[in-house]
Amino acid sequence: MNKRTRKIIGEVFFYLLIIIIFIYLMFPFYWAIVSALKPESELIRTPATLFPETITFQNFRAVLSNTRFTKGLLNSTIVASAATILSLLIGSFAGFALGKMRFRGKTPSLYVILAMTMFPQVAILAGLFAVIETVQLPTTVSLVLSYLIFTLPFTAWVLTSFFKGLPDTLLQAAQVDGATMIQTFWQVLLPLTAPALVTTGLLAFINAWNEYLFALTFTATDPSAQTVPVAIANLSGKIARQEPIGEIMAGAIIVTIPLVLLVLIFQNRIVAGLTAGAVKG
Amino acid sequence: MANSQAQSQNKKRSGISDLAKQEERTAMWLLLPTFLVLVLVAIYPLGRVVVSSFTNARFASSAPTEFIGLQNYRDLLSMTIRELPLEVDDNGNPVLVDGERQYESWVRVLPREPNRYRAVTEFSLFGKRYVLGATKAEFVLSIWDTVVFTVITVLLETLLGMIIALSLSAKFVGRNVMRTAMLIPWAIITVVSAKIWIWMFQSTRAGFFNSLFNRLGWTDGTTGFLTEPSLQLPSIIMIDVWKTTPFMALLLLAGLATIPSELYEAAEVDGANKLRQFFSITLPLLTPTLAVALIFRTLDALRVFDLFQVVFGERRYSMASFAQDTLISNRDVGLSSAASVVIFVILFVFAIFYIRALGVDTE
Repeated sequence: MNKRTRKIIGEVFFYLLIIIIFIYLMFPFYWAIVSALKPESELIRTPATLFPETITFQNFRAVLSNTRFTKGLLNSTIVASAATILSLLIGSFAGFALGKMRFRGKTPSLYVILAMTMFPQVAILAGLFAVIETVQLPTTVSLVLSYLIFTLPFTAWVLTSFFKGLPDTLLQAAQVDGATMIQTFWQVLLPLTAPALVTTGLLAFINAWNEYLFALTFTATDPSAQTVPVAIANLSGKIARQEPIGEIMAGAIIVTIPLVLLVLIFQNRIVAGLTAGAVKG
Repeated sequence: MANSQAQSQNKKRSGISDLAKQEERTAMWLLLPTFLVLVLVAIYPLGRVVVSSFTNARFASSAPTEFIGLQNYRDLLSMTIRELPLEVDDNGNPVLVDGERQYESWVRVLPREPNRYRAVTEFSLFGKRYVLGATKAEFVLSIWDTVVFTVITVLLETLLGMIIALSLSAKFVGRNVMRTAMLIPWAIITVVSAKIWIWMFQSTRAGFFNSLFNRLGWTDGTTGFLTEPSLQLPSIIMIDVWKTTPFMALLLLAGLATIPSELYEAAEVDGANKLRQFFSITLPLLTPTLAVALIFRTLDALRVFDLFQVVFGERRYSMASFAQDTLISNRDVGLSSAASVVIFVILFVFAIFYIRALGVDTE
């Protein structure tokens, strides 16, 4: 075997590996799409078909006319957006202070925020539930507040490292011009961190959109506030029958498409944001 | 003269410290909202959980709440190991089924008073058979399952993530498509991916895996991947590995990108083969990234909730889904709180290691 054929064989194996990885990553999503497009009769047929023989949109129509699901979409959008905006606002203050200012107690503050990014939500479940029952806040509001426990430390932590990366000369120049700290923050530094805000905001939004533990627990007594993960987990068919697989798969596709689009548009930013905290340390 | 000079110097110094003081005050105000929120949604509820873990509090109950000390913890964590006696017939000879010795049921050996113990698992050691019993067998089993789940998923994700990251770090046609494909499993909501996989694991040939395995002639196409106890953990591990491997691969890919290519060129000149290059260049330089990713994923896996809740409901628990179910289905606030504290302590120990390993760069 000469060197050239060996190289070609190596190449073939490499692409084979790539194709296998691609199929592994994509297949479950493909299966969900195919299942959502199949009519009920084909779904329960054995053995399962790899390509749908008849394509129908009846599952999509059914799930979109399910008020529990559409209400869930609305609730999720409200809760995830509110939690994201709040944590970007509060978190950018903290990020500015921790990234650019000198003060006593900075190191402990950083430790607390880092520790909070790893806080196990389940540890405070009963306590939060009790607080919510006592204060009698609307479920949606309590969901937003409780989501801050994971979105806020994350945004504060990532924004701190972004602020730290901005040159000190900017800050000094603004101070020489007579700007106060707060003016410097709003007018000079914040516009520069816009890309970072988009990245962290997106990741915080996805995390909030994904959240299931608090959503399931706190909406147990208030089904009208259910978010989309809870609605999908409990989706039942119009007629009392077994799990409406086709509808669940259609719902799965509908909630996944916006996220996939966001990911496609912002993929470089997302990768940068995901790795910012971990790789640089 | 000398006096006024000293005065102006004094003024200058106090001017600087005034500025520093002002900066300090501004920083405090900027940090205040963050810490206020954290106290409100994390510290205070955590305190309440710790307090109620020592009580018999229940939701929607008229009975007064009382302090019961460590009773909840005793209920959760009481364990005992008993030897299982051989099953003997009326003549005192061991009963044999297919030539195998039979053992008595655990019901006979585990204590019933004051609290009833149930079997967590049975195991053999030095030719004898033992049973591990616990008063809350589900919780002890959930700790064991969560730990097994964590160790195996993190291991598989790291191996697979490494393979994917190494393949994608090469330049080839379609690399960008692959990078995008990697983000798909990550972008799918955990609950949704659990639902998709439950459907693929369907116990009839309408399910993908049963169809496939039947076509290949491996099974009769009725395998209960999610109901057969021995297949439950492997199946759920498969789901988690699919969902989180891309995240691991992304982190490792970013780590790989920081390794200067000159190192590989030099190794090439020195005649080191690819395997040698991996073990002497890639692996050592990737260690910091790998360590962070490993600990990060471990912490995440230990608090797994969504997957277990959606896939198994009340049939099999992770630590977190046990605590949640105890709270909502059984309304047992005290016991659920104690379980939460146990989880918190386990994770806390891990988080300390994490912060130690990662360190905080303050300047």
